[in-house]
Amino acid sequence: MKSIRHIIEYCLARILLLFVDNLPFGISCLVARGAANLWWAFDPQRRKVARDNILRSGIETDPKRALAMARGATQHMALLIVESLRSHQFLTGERFRDHLEINIKPDVLAALENPDQGLIMASGHFGNWEIAAHFLSRYKPVVGITRRMNNPLMEKLVQSRKSSHRFRPIPKRDSNSARFLEVLENKEILALLFDQHAATHNMSIDFFGHPAATFKTVAMLHLVTRAPLCFGACRRIGPLKFEIFTSHLIQCPPSGNKNEDIRSILNQLTQYLEDAIGQAPDQYVWGHRRWRD
Amino acid sequence: MSEKPKADLIVEKLREIMETSATEELDWSNYGPQSTIESLGLDSLTILDLLYDVEQELGVHLEAKDIVSVGNIGEMASLLIDRGA
Repeated sequence: MKSIRHIIEYCLARILLLFVDNLPFGISCLVARGAANLWWAFDPQRRKVARDNILRSGIETDPKRALAMARGATQHMALLIVESLRSHQFLTGERFRDHLEINIKPDVLAALENPDQGLIMASGHFGNWEIAAHFLSRYKPVVGITRRMNNPLMEKLVQSRKSSHRFRPIPKRDSNSARFLEVLENKEILALLFDQHAATHNMSIDFFGHPAATFKTVAMLHLVTRAPLCFGACRRIGPLKFEIFTSHLIQCPPSGNKNEDIRSILNQLTQYLEDAIGQAPDQYVWGHRRWRD
Repeated sequence: MSEKPKADLIVEKLREIMETSATEELDWSNYGPQSTIESLGLDSLTILDLLYDVEQELGVHLEAKDIVSVGNIGEMASLLIDRGA
C-alpha cells in the first residue's frame, strides 16, 4: 500500500516538475496552487491541525477565516517549492537585485562579510527559507538540517534537483552539536529552523502565548561558541519578489545562569518569528503540531 | 602544585560538572581520563551544557575548534590546564 502511494506521489511530482520547468512562472504557480488544493482536499487531519493552530495563535479568531488562511498556507508551501526549484534562474549573478529586497542589519552584514567568523542564522518555517539560504550562500557556505523524505523515490528526485548554490545539508539523523561546531569552526553559516516541537533537550517557551517545547541547541551554540546569532527570514512580497530581512545580532554573553540565558535567547528569537508571521500569516507552515499539550 | 594532581583535580571537577549537566542517571563507575564523553552517555547536545558549565566553573572559554578536537576527559583536562584552569 505504502509503495503504491510512493509511486503515485513520485508520478505527481514528476508531472509537476515537467510543468515547473517548461511553463511560464505564472502558469507554474497556478499548477502548484492546484496541486496544493488537491492535497488540501485529501488531508483533513493536516487541515484541522492548521486551522486549530491559527485559532490558538490568536492571529485569526473566526474559524472560517482561519480555515481560509490555512488553505493559503498550504498554497504557500506549493509556491515555495516552485520558487525554490526555479531559484537558480533568478538568483544567479546580479539578477537577484530585481527579485530581492534586502534588509539585513549592518551588524549582521558585517558578520556575513567577515571571513573569520561563522554565523548562526535562526529562523522558522516562515516564508521561503530556501530562497534565503540561496541568497546567503553568496556570502559564505550555508549548512542546514534536512529531513530525509519518507518516500525514497521522492528523496532521490529531490537530491537530483538540488541547486548548485553553496548549500550543504546535514541529514537530520546526523545533526548533532559536533557537526554544528564544525560548521562554525569553518566560518560557515549555520541555518537552523528552531520552531519544531522538541521532544528532548527542550525548554518551554511561549509561542503566541502558549507554551511550546523548543530546542535549546541554537541558544547553547551561541552561548558556548560566541558565534554571532541572529533571526532571519525571507518573505514573499510579490510574484518572484521577496524581502530578506534579519534582526540585529542577539547579544547574550553567558551570565552564569544557564537556563535564564537560554530562555532570554529563545524568547527573543520567538518574538522575532511571531513578528514575521504577523506580517504574512499565510506564509507560515501552520500544519505542523507546534503545541503538543 | 605539580601537573599530575592538578590534572586529577580537573578531571574530578569535570565529573562533578558532568553529573550536574547530565539529564539522565549515568553509570560513573568507569569514569576516568580515558573515558570518551560519548561513553559516559552524554549525548552531543548535553556536551554544549557541559561546556557552558566548564566555563562558568573553571573560568576557561573553549573555542569551537578546541571542542571538536577533544577526544576524551583527559584531553579536555589537559586543554583546560593549557588555557589556565
